[in-house]
Amino acid sequence: MDTSHLAEHAGTAGTLFASVFVVATYTMRTMIPLRVFGILTNVVLIVSSIPTHNYPTGGLHAVLLVLNSYRLHQMLQLVRDVKRSVNSDLSMEWLKPFMTERKCAPGDVLFYKDEKAEDMLYIVSGRFRLVESGIELPVGAIVGELGMLSPSNVRTQSLECVEAGVILSVSYSKVEELYVQNPAFGFYFLRLASARLFENIDKLEKRLAQQTTPAPASAALKPA
Amino acid sequence: MASVLSSLRYLLADFIGEDDGVPPYLPEGLPDSVVPVVSDGIHLLMDYQGSSYAQLYVDRVRRFVGRPGVDEAMLGEIGRLMAQRMSYEDPIRIAQLKLAELETAPGGPRVAPADMIGKFRLVELIGALPGPVAEPVLDALDWVGWTHMPVSIRFSTRSRWSIRRLKIEASLRRWRLFSVRYAKERAWVERWLHMISRSLEKQPGAASAVVQTATMIQGYGASYRQGLADWHAIIDGLAKPTFDGALPLADLAAAIAEARATATPDPRQVALKRAIAEIRARALFAGANAAAG
Repeated sequence: MDTSHLAEHAGTAGTLFASVFVVATYTMRTMIPLRVFGILTNVVLIVSSIPTHNYPTGGLHAVLLVLNSYRLHQMLQLVRDVKRSVNSDLSMEWLKPFMTERKCAPGDVLFYKDEKAEDMLYIVSGRFRLVESGIELPVGAIVGELGMLSPSNVRTQSLECVEAGVILSVSYSKVEELYVQNPAFGFYFLRLASARLFENIDKLEKRLAQQTTPAPASAALKPA
Repeated sequence: MASVLSSLRYLLADFIGEDDGVPPYLPEGLPDSVVPVVSDGIHLLMDYQGSSYAQLYVDRVRRFVGRPGVDEAMLGEIGRLMAQRMSYEDPIRIAQLKLAELETAPGGPRVAPADMIGKFRLVELIGALPGPVAEPVLDALDWVGWTHMPVSIRFSTRSRWSIRRLKIEASLRRWRLFSVRYAKERAWVERWLHMISRSLEKQPGAASAVVQTATMIQGYGASYRQGLADWHAIIDGLAKPTFDGALPLADLAAAIAEARATATPDPRQVALKRAIAEIRARALFAGANAAAG
């Protein structure tokens, strides 16, 4: 029994079915559904390429399937990490995979006060000091995360390297890209930035309260 | 149709450059006497790069408008010198100027102005290219020790081919803001402005002298490199330590003037370094005496 015509029909049906998924993929507005439909399209096209022996197409879509799956995994992991961060320590470590490393020598100024802010920095090692306030930033500190959301978009202090170290940086445009591609990320990022802002306000209020509290008499009286 | 074209232009903005030739607004509260200076700066930078670059200039000028200690004369000087430094002379700029010269030649575009030979350093030529292209080349040049090798380039408008070549060079301006050189120039301008700000806070009397240090850096090639090295020597040796409180220099303006007077076209900066060391020693001695007495 000749089954070649059956294989041909199966191939045509598979291609038509895949076309529906291709159209659906292109109608997606955001990255996660786009990747999901991309994966479904890849699967349908791999399957439909088998009866027609169209192996190059099958091979191409096998590669694309891996790529789409990896990118989807990255995106889901990002959302999960930001969400986890909002609910725990407000850390921004989840940004690390998107950052590029830069070495700094003592005396290097990473940015100046009033300069237009364009990137976010993460201190990996070394010592860094905010010039105007004289505050030294600890390893693990994130600098400039609120600058992206501020209307003026300028640095409020200068940052100088005191002892050689390494920083990671990510441009605001990259974060914007992630934000636009992925609404869930955008939502949690906003919550995280707001939480960090409120945390800063809380710290300032506590510091102000400490300064305005009158010193105890024993502390005020110093020995001669 | 217009919106489709606009979207396409936005998509390809990095490759085809900016589309709007609308100059930015002057900063609010700019004194009348400074308006012509800043307007000239805006038009210079529109021609040099584009409206967003001119906007950056306006934003930088705005930082000093109405600031205590900055009078109209100083603001005008900041605006004038900043426009000069932001329109630094790279091979792209020289090609732009040469083409403009051809357009405005007394006999019209048919009469070609004289050729010009620019003596650059190799680092300036490669540094004008976008970072991802330039960085590996610069690393390789650094490895073989050719980074500062002098290179002469003829800028000519005598033949159709040479004009075409100038146009190609001038067209590289759309990638200028991605270049290695731009990153350095941007850092320099920010450092200069930062030093002016710190001077206004720590030694207002020296602010004008700090503003005028921008005139040390001119042109391209060897003179540019020398000026830049001298500027950094003076700022690192005198201005910054004074602002940091590490050097008790009572009259920073006089110290800068004294150091600048000794600066000569010497790549080793012997006289300048000696003068800076003397000024520092005098200041530290005076500071120690004041503390003791």
